[in-house]
Amino acid sequence: MAWLLHRVVVAILLVWVVASIVFLAIRLVPGDPATLLLSQGGMAPDPGAVAALRAQLGLDQPVWLQYLSVLKAALHGNLGASLEDGTPVVSAILQRLPRTLELIGAAALIAILAALPAGLAAATRRGGGFDRIASLLAAIALAIPVFVAGTLMVLVFAQWLRWVPAGGYVPLAQDPLRHLRLLAMPALTIALGLSAVTFRMTRAAALEVAQKDYIRMARAKGVAPPRILLHHVLRNALMPVVTVLGLQLGSLLGGTVLVEYVFNWPGLSGLLVDAVNARDYPEVEGIVLVISVLFVALNLLMDILYAVLDPRVRQR
Amino acid sequence: MSRVAWIPAGSVALLALLALAAPLLPLPNPVAIDVAHRLAGISALHPLGQDEYGRDELSRLVCGTRVSLAVAVIATGIACALGVLLGLVGGFLGRFAELATVRSMDVVLCFPPLLLALLVVTLIGPGASALIPVLALLYLPGFVRVVYAGVLSVRAQDYVEAMRALGARRARIMFLTVLPNVGGPVLVQFSLAAASAMVLESGLSFLGLGVVPPSPSLGLMIGEARSTMAQAPMLLLWPCLALGLAILALNALCDALRDAFDPQGRASPGRGWRALRAALPGGAPAPGPVLEVRELTLQIGSAAAHPVRGVSLTVAPGETLAVIGESGSGKSLTGLAAMALLPGGIEVDGGAVFLEGREMLRLDEPALRRLRGGRIAMVFQDPLSSLNPVHRIGAQISEALRAHQLLTRRAAWRKSVGLLRRVGIPDPERRARAFPHELSGGMRQRVMIAIAIANDPVLLIADEPTTALDATVQAQILELLAELRKERRIALVFITHNLPVVAEIADRVTVMYAGEVVEDGPAAEVFAAPLHPYTAALLASAPRDDGTSPVGIPGMVPMLHNRPPGCSFAPRCSRRAPSCEVATPPLNTLRPDRHTRCLRWRELA
Amino acid sequence: MRLSRRSLIAAGAALPFLRIPARAATTPGKLVFGLSSYPPNLFPWANAGTAAETAKLAMFRGLLGYDAEGKLRGELAESWERDPKDGASVFHLRQAQFHNGDPVTSADVAYTVEQVAAAQSTAYLRTEMQGIAKIETPDPRTVRFVTKQPVATFPLLAASSFLPICAKGSADGNAPGIGAGPFVPTAQERGVAIEFKAFDKYYRPGLPKLKALRMVAYQDENLRVAALQTGDVDLIEYVPWQSMSTIEQDAKLALQTTNGPFMYLVFNGKAAPFGDARVRNAIAYAIRREEIVKAAFFGRGAPMEGIPIPDTSPFYDAERAHHWGHDPAKAKALLNQAGLANGFSAKLLATAQYGMHKDTATVVQQHLAEIGIAVELVLPDWATRVNLGNRGQYEFAVGGTSADSNDPDGLAPVLAGNLTPSYVRSYGIEVPRLDQLLAAGRAEFDEAKRRAIYEEMQDVALAEAPFVGLAWRSQGYAMSRRVQGFHNLPGALSFYSGTTFEDTDIV
Repeated sequence: MAWLLHRVVVAILLVWVVASIVFLAIRLVPGDPATLLLSQGGMAPDPGAVAALRAQLGLDQPVWLQYLSVLKAALHGNLGASLEDGTPVVSAILQRLPRTLELIGAAALIAILAALPAGLAAATRRGGGFDRIASLLAAIALAIPVFVAGTLMVLVFAQWLRWVPAGGYVPLAQDPLRHLRLLAMPALTIALGLSAVTFRMTRAAALEVAQKDYIRMARAKGVAPPRILLHHVLRNALMPVVTVLGLQLGSLLGGTVLVEYVFNWPGLSGLLVDAVNARDYPEVEGIVLVISVLFVALNLLMDILYAVLDPRVRQR
Repeated sequence: MSRVAWIPAGSVALLALLALAAPLLPLPNPVAIDVAHRLAGISALHPLGQDEYGRDELSRLVCGTRVSLAVAVIATGIACALGVLLGLVGGFLGRFAELATVRSMDVVLCFPPLLLALLVVTLIGPGASALIPVLALLYLPGFVRVVYAGVLSVRAQDYVEAMRALGARRARIMFLTVLPNVGGPVLVQFSLAAASAMVLESGLSFLGLGVVPPSPSLGLMIGEARSTMAQAPMLLLWPCLALGLAILALNALCDALRDAFDPQGRASPGRGWRALRAALPGGAPAPGPVLEVRELTLQIGSAAAHPVRGVSLTVAPGETLAVIGESGSGKSLTGLAAMALLPGGIEVDGGAVFLEGREMLRLDEPALRRLRGGRIAMVFQDPLSSLNPVHRIGAQISEALRAHQLLTRRAAWRKSVGLLRRVGIPDPERRARAFPHELSGGMRQRVMIAIAIANDPVLLIADEPTTALDATVQAQILELLAELRKERRIALVFITHNLPVVAEIADRVTVMYAGEVVEDGPAAEVFAAPLHPYTAALLASAPRDDGTSPVGIPGMVPMLHNRPPGCSFAPRCSRRAPSCEVATPPLNTLRPDRHTRCLRWRELA
Repeated sequence: MRLSRRSLIAAGAALPFLRIPARAATTPGKLVFGLSSYPPNLFPWANAGTAAETAKLAMFRGLLGYDAEGKLRGELAESWERDPKDGASVFHLRQAQFHNGDPVTSADVAYTVEQVAAAQSTAYLRTEMQGIAKIETPDPRTVRFVTKQPVATFPLLAASSFLPICAKGSADGNAPGIGAGPFVPTAQERGVAIEFKAFDKYYRPGLPKLKALRMVAYQDENLRVAALQTGDVDLIEYVPWQSMSTIEQDAKLALQTTNGPFMYLVFNGKAAPFGDARVRNAIAYAIRREEIVKAAFFGRGAPMEGIPIPDTSPFYDAERAHHWGHDPAKAKALLNQAGLANGFSAKLLATAQYGMHKDTATVVQQHLAEIGIAVELVLPDWATRVNLGNRGQYEFAVGGTSADSNDPDGLAPVLAGNLTPSYVRSYGIEVPRLDQLLAAGRAEFDEAKRRAIYEEMQDVALAEAPFVGLAWRSQGYAMSRRVQGFHNLPGALSFYSGTTFEDTDIV
């Protein structure tokens, strides 16, 4: 339990450091949000208007003062308001976050369902036909950049085959079938790379576990192969697979930009990139804070999961 | 490195060569635009056509690969160098350095990679000079972790402590011990990071955050080709192919390196030899013995190495046979062969194994499974690694029970507890819920025995069951085995290198050396009057009760591929004669139950 | 083997059983419009980009506006005139209602203009509205504006989409403002879509024809076109140039284009040698503008060899419009005169974020190399580029914009030298005569005199070249053939085409 507390404290510190670094960094980046806001559409902004906007947005205060007020507000759960249109950052994030999570979750589900059994199968018949083909497919999947895969998928599935609409979003409650059809392609695109990694990791972990003495022991006990595979091999191979999967999912939290762009899926990453391009400080800070918190929480979850899976860890 | 690894290594080398040689190749200028001929197709001057500015596609492809590869490799190189440094510093320079290193890497990992790239590029401005630091930063934690883990594992070693005690400077320790240790994983990490960097660079260039046009980069070319996808789809295909192939090659190299530094042995499909041997009958079994091994010869893969040659032994019901030999004698493999549990790579080259008259090595897998753990059971040397660390020991015993008997989970659990009690584990109800790492070595071995006897086998093979235990516990285990033997009439094959241990419990003894049986017979006789110099030497080298110091055997067991032409023991034998070194001596049968392979056995008697 | 899209589509067509239409059930009378980006905000008087303007043109109306041919017409004001007594611009309001049912009165007009002109306002027309000395509202249907200086172009300001009339008090603080346009916003999903329904009390009887309007953001241009082709949207803006011919050839789709926006070069007069007008002119003569049109816009556009005055404008002069034809010899001669016979090296600022800017810069770089100017491209992201431009931290730069209106005065932002520094115009280049002429043109009411003024203005601009025109680019709207009544307004007014939503119908 002390271990858990220690981890949580470290996590909070980490998040604070990250958020502070981002706070500074985004202000160091050239480009003033007021000027940008008023420069849209290629028209010249009026400097008086720019100054007025800056004052209105609180950007004329010294940096350390801004930092303190942001910190204070954040501790009260208020992440500020977007500089562009005044929408509270919290509500903007809450609107977009579930969509990114949904995308990642769907991709993870596909990856686990497809790649885990495939990795096991490949490991049990190492060097066999299935193993070779699956490994080759995994290698290719890892080599295709995600935006290329996405573009090709739009071309094939939306334009030629007309199986799914060409990108966009409708809420699940509004039109479940269309929602799922729109979810399919971006989730699949992400799942490609994710499956490849999961497949390789499962295969490698299963192969390593298969060499262990307790597998030989299980055979010596006369245990049936399916049980050996699931109860002994998979059970022990899960640990490194879970770790790697957790890392991948964590990095996806902020990294689904390209997929969201190509498929017009209104998720959190897209909001982040737009916010950085518009120098919308509160939004950038808010999103990075949320992503960092989620990432750290995910890591914590992974650690707990690992402890659940591996009783040897619990002693420490 | 295996043969197959040369293919990816070769392709990567070819790529690198191409990239390096690009400026020297007779290619048209990749940035010279020719708008009049934009999107032109294949022509004599332009083998792959022209892009949307009329630039030559092939030269752009080559240059683009060069740029993308260069960026990826340089960034990875920087990350590697810095990462190794940081990992070493963190591991060796005390708690504060450790904290700073590990935690700062955690901070880097907290950043969404793309945001980091976005921020850095907007701060520094786009272009390769901004891209390389970003990528280096992104891959730094990976290297730090690998090296740090290596340092941690090495730090705990005794010889590092010894070096420190001898006054060696820390830096020296670092370089001499850690670097060779982590060399492999770092190389693997390098190729992994380089491949990933290429993909990331293409994504960043696609977003306009990477290499600055007009210099080509594969990612940039893909991004640009997307807009002309309808008119010239091939323009999208070429850079995709180039990128894909480059990454494939890098990934393949990574895998090959992994295999090279962490070999797992090539597994043979395993089915071939069975079909072959099925054609050769082993003959009829002799009636009576529980286990009969007849002229068993094992072969490693397709090589000419035979770890077990022509080994024969028998075990009568309820009898205890001790198989004695040094490591490398082939005794463990013989035991595994009896269970038909040979590891991958070891094949049977001749002979047969009969368990209660059934020829084990010709049975199919389901039939073998019925026997293993049922009629014949094995106790392995290292109980910690032989028990699954994530399952409770009660469950592991129940598993053995339910593999052969129809029991409900609860019934099996009750039986497991009973078995634990039988093997002398106190408080068995509570202990059954424990995990293997929560028990002591002796208790774990008792658990192994419990598993082995769970289904009342007729034969128990114990491979060095007490070697990992200390003396008092050893005695207890031996006692337990003796009890169980008597109680349940189990035949026991006790494999060991430790003579005194078996002196008490063995009925018969088989001595093996370098894969062959050199002597066998009733225990009392063999101990009292050994008929082979090796046996005699073993007896002499055992610790004695009367305090006289033991006499060691000079020399070493010959390597499998380095066998002397004559008697395997001759080089170390004090009684060798020229005749001993001519040909392998045959096994002399003095009585049906007494054999020796020494030519000069009469002189020993 | 060349894979043509057609052959692949043919292959796809060979599998008819696989082609399931992906379009959601269409609601009759509802138009789905594909925006090129999501408006950062919808504040009525701020300039937040063309997507925001399109949305605002659906829900707001100003005093004046434009018809489908780009001619000025009355909106909330049914007539207007200039009172010769005090030079005031007088507007007579028609009977109209805001979305909340309140009538449109002169008080609301006064409120709007006062808010825009306020000292702390961030409105686009703040400076212009601050030029109003007095607003008089003699009765609820009459408004009089007395300007400090005579402003001949006042009606153009009144027609600007940046001056929508809001109900009094409805735009205080960050409130969105209540307008009198043909559509009422009903829902907004930030970053995704805006929903409108028809305003039944719109002052034009029988309009709008549509019952509902949904604007969806499609940032990726390929996806925008794909959505149109699959029927997910009915009408899109910012048609990518490479897709224009495909859309024209598609029997189910229609394309409307106009050459409105343009690409040009600006210079930093304080960065040698760009302070020398001969150098600027040399650059202007060195460029083969057709190649820019071809490379950046797939031929969809036209070279601009002078100042961006559209050929439909009464102020257009053919000879002046072709002043800067490709003449490398002349360019070299000018460089010689400036003492740079051996050429020089310079940095060209553009942005990597917008393809048309990047492509233009690439072509310019190549052409200038041919006369001995070695150009290095500087391609930061858009925000940084704007910043650098505003601060004059560049040598010369690529710009792309549209004029405020089709009147030459609309070019003042890109030509003037006496305004505060901005990335849309050159930095540190003073041409006092040019500024004088621009001001004179603004104040001159007589048509003939105005023409003379702008002729001289063009001559001065061409001689001094603080602005080097490169190319017009085609601004396109593509739609399904079921869409009728939507018009792409000509020239610089293309971005105001949203005003024709009231006439649009989908059959």
